[in-house]
Amino acid sequence: MLALRTAATGMAAQQMNVEVISNNIANMNTIGYKKQRAEFEDLLYQNVERAGVSSSAGGTIVPTGVQIGSGVKAGSVYRITQQGALTQTGNKLDIAIDGKGFFPVLMPSGETAYTRAGNFSVSPTGTLVTADGYTVQPAITIPQGATDVSISADGQVQATIAGQTAPSVVGQMQLANFFNEGGLEAIGNNLMLESSASGPAQLGTATSTGFGSLRQGYTEASNVDAVGEVTALIVAQRAYEMNSKVVTAADQMLATASQLKS
Amino acid sequence: MNNALYVGLSRQETLQRALEIAANNIANADTAGFKLESLLVQTEPGSAPSTPDARPVAYVLDHGVTRDFTQGAMEGTGNPYDLSVEGLGFFQIQTANGMRYTRDGRFTVDNKNQLVTKAGDPVMDAGGRPIVLDPTKPEPAIAQDGTISQGGTPGAKLGVYRFPDLAQLQKVGGNLFEAPAAMTPTVAADGVVRQGTVEKSNVQPVLEITNLIEISRAYERVAQMMSQQNDLSSQAISRLGKAA
Repeated sequence: MLALRTAATGMAAQQMNVEVISNNIANMNTIGYKKQRAEFEDLLYQNVERAGVSSSAGGTIVPTGVQIGSGVKAGSVYRITQQGALTQTGNKLDIAIDGKGFFPVLMPSGETAYTRAGNFSVSPTGTLVTADGYTVQPAITIPQGATDVSISADGQVQATIAGQTAPSVVGQMQLANFFNEGGLEAIGNNLMLESSASGPAQLGTATSTGFGSLRQGYTEASNVDAVGEVTALIVAQRAYEMNSKVVTAADQMLATASQLKS
Repeated sequence: MNNALYVGLSRQETLQRALEIAANNIANADTAGFKLESLLVQTEPGSAPSTPDARPVAYVLDHGVTRDFTQGAMEGTGNPYDLSVEGLGFFQIQTANGMRYTRDGRFTVDNKNQLVTKAGDPVMDAGGRPIVLDPTKPEPAIAQDGTISQGGTPGAKLGVYRFPDLAQLQKVGGNLFEAPAAMTPTVAADGVVRQGTVEKSNVQPVLEITNLIEISRAYERVAQMMSQQNDLSSQAISRLGKAA
C-alpha cells in the first residue's frame, strides 16, 4: 500500500524538521549563529491515468488524469542570513558586523574559515584571535603596553600606548563577502567554509560597497526567534502525529481487506 | 449474482486510491506552495446485462485528480529571498527538462549570482530570462509588481505567469508544475509578488483527518456489504442444494 510509504516519508521529514528546530533552539544564545530552516518538496508523482487520454470508445477525454503523489522529502536545510540583534558588551575586543560580511579566520590546518562571531581576544603574543584561538586574518598584533584599543567602523585598529599621546594604527581588518551566503558550509565552532555553492570569497574593507560596518563593543546575537521556533516545533509535532494517523488508517484498511474472507 | 462483489471491489479500489492521495496531502501539509488534491470519481456503466429483465450495473471509477488552487496561508519570514505570489499565478523556473511553474518562492542566489530555486534552477523574469543580481549592492527589494531593485535602482522584473486552464497542469515533484505543450502561459500584468513571505501548503489538516476517517469507514462498510453478499450466496447454495 502506497499510503503507508507516503505517510512514512511525511514522518521522516517532520523528524528532520524537529532536528533542525532543536538545533536552532540550542543555539539561541550562540554569538553570530544563523537559524536554519528545513524546506520540503513533494516527491515524484505517478501517472495512473494520463490527462487527455480517451476514456471511452465514444471519444470522451479524461480532463485531468489521476496523478498520485508519493509523499514529501526534505529538499534542503537553508540558512537564513538575516542580521542578528547587536548586543552591547562593552568589551573592547567584541566586534559585530552590521550588514554583510564575514571575518576571515586562519584555521590550524591552514585553511581559511569565515565567521560572524566577533567575540575576539588577544593571544599571548598579542595577536587578535577568535574564542578558539584562531588568528583573525590579516593578523593584527596589539602592542604590549597598549592601554586602549579602538576599532573604527571601517576596520582600522588603533592602539593607545602608554606614554604616547596620539594613538597609532596597528592594523586594518578585512571582511569577506559571498554571492550566496546560504551556501557556506558550517563546520561548527561558529565557523564556515567556502563551498562551490557559496562562490569564492571577495575580500574588502568594512563600509565599502556591499560590506557592512563594524561595531566595537558589540556582539551579534543569534537571529533565532524563540517564539517562532517553539511554534514551528508544535506544528512539526502535530504534523508527525497526523502522518502516524495515516499509517493507522492504512493499516485498518489492510486489516479490513484481509478479514473479508470469512 | 457476483455483480455486488465487483461493484464493492470497484469502490474499494477507488477508496484505496483516495487514501493514497490523502496520505500525500497530509505528508505535504508543511510543504510551501503545495496544492491540495482530491480524487474525482464517477459512475461507470458496466457491460450490457445478459438477460432482458436485469438492470444495468453501475461501477465506480476514478477518472481524475482535482487540485484546489486556493491561496495557502502567507507566513511572514522577513527573509528577502522568500517570495510568494498573491492571487493567481506562478513563478517560472527553467529546469533541465524545460520550463516548470511553482508557487514555492523560497529562492536563493547561486554562485553565479542568479536568483535560483533551492534545487539551483534559475527563476525567470517577465521576459523569460534568468535574473542576475548585483553582489556589490545591498539585498534586493522586490515591489508588488515584481520589480527587483537594489540600492534604489530598479532592475529585472519577476514574472507572474498565468494559465487559461489550471486543471491541465501536472505535478512533477519538487513543488513544480508542468504545463502541456499546447498551453502557453501569459505574463500577468497585475500579478502581485510579496517579498519576505512564504505561501504555506493549503492543506487543512483537520479536514484531511476527517477525510481519512471517512475513507477508512467507507472501506469497512463496503467490506461488510461484500461479506453479507458472500453469506447470501453461500446460504442460497446450501438451501437450493437441499431442495434438490
